[in-house]
Amino acid sequence: MSMGGENRMTREYLSEIADFIARYLSYMLGAGVHTSRVVRNSKRIGGALGVDVSVHTSQKTATLTVSGKDNGLHDTRVVDIPPFPISFEWNADLSALSWAAHDEEMSLDAIRHKFDELVSKPKMNPIFVLFMASLANASFCRLFGGDIWAMLITFTATMVGFFTRQHLTRKKVNHYIVFIASAFVASICASTALALGIDTAEIALATSVLYLVPGVPLINGVIDITDGHIQIGISRLVNAFMLIICIAIGMSVTLMLVKDSLL
Amino acid sequence: MIALDIISDGIFAAVAAMGFGAISDPPMRAFPYIAILAAAGHAARYCLMNFLGVDIVTASLVAAFIIGTGSVWCGRKVFCPMTVLYIPALLPMVPGTYAYKTVFSLIMFFQEISSPGKGAGYLQEMIYNGAVSFSVLFMLAVGATIPVFLLRERANSMTRGSRFL
Repeated sequence: MSMGGENRMTREYLSEIADFIARYLSYMLGAGVHTSRVVRNSKRIGGALGVDVSVHTSQKTATLTVSGKDNGLHDTRVVDIPPFPISFEWNADLSALSWAAHDEEMSLDAIRHKFDELVSKPKMNPIFVLFMASLANASFCRLFGGDIWAMLITFTATMVGFFTRQHLTRKKVNHYIVFIASAFVASICASTALALGIDTAEIALATSVLYLVPGVPLINGVIDITDGHIQIGISRLVNAFMLIICIAIGMSVTLMLVKDSLL
Repeated sequence: MIALDIISDGIFAAVAAMGFGAISDPPMRAFPYIAILAAAGHAARYCLMNFLGVDIVTASLVAAFIIGTGSVWCGRKVFCPMTVLYIPALLPMVPGTYAYKTVFSLIMFFQEISSPGKGAGYLQEMIYNGAVSFSVLFMLAVGATIPVFLLRERANSMTRGSRFL
């Protein structure tokens, strides 16, 4: 704004700030950042632009009010939280943006421009993620006492299961169905270990679905609860438990098919 | 031989943490620190459980505290919030086998529902495994969060002045 000084806080400017902070906050919550950080960062950006920010969040929507420091202007937004995949990169980058806004006195336009740049950075290569997840699950199998053959089977089973998950997610299938299907595919692949007569076959079967366990929402839920954001913490935990139940359903289909060789 | 066991435990935990972390799209610069934290935490838990006879819940709490404290120090180096480092590092300690056994016993309970003796056995196993999984998970998150409460100022300004923006 050109006027400078106290007069620059017009109604239009305040409304623009509210729009930007609403978007910032919905992106962060959507990418799986825990609540107290999102609230703190939003207040920090608001403070840098000369407004107070109050936020209320729930699982699927967030409400915020921005108010001018001493001119009595208010503006409120209710935003939907978009279901982005979890991104620690956005978490780190957008947090750094809030500090940059605070320390370097960036203008609203500059912050907005930087924000768009940060959220349009390319994501990690899905094939690299597929490979890493399979390797991780194979190491997990080893930690639980599986031998080298069980590790190989877990590696392959995870690869097939994770590919199923990526493919179905890209097709925008309901995420509960994605979890049930991927758990079934991974565990049925791992159950070949039973047929091959490997000593630690049961460990391979048990670890094959663990790449699906929603570890991030589970830990975020407990963090939110310890931070006092109890309602959203419980929502996150319930959400994660629903996904775990889906994993269990997918896996129990396999267990029903092969249980005679397990006992 | 003992040293070899501890080191291999740490290495496999590091690989698991990086791989499971990769699913959640962390910044590339965070990977080495995620690996170090996961290896230190998991190896510490391995030692506590196998050599000092500590139970899995307390051992997880201590390991998570080590990871949380480490992430205060590492976070500043790569300008990442603590959660970006410690959540992936905790993932290999999420009690997967206990969770699996909880579900498995539940399914077996349904299968044996008509024979009360066997069914009750499975139900008992389900509660046992469920209690362990929930407590370990809770302690992991709490242990890693304690340093945030102790060092609030420092913990909340990890990304200040980031070189990577």
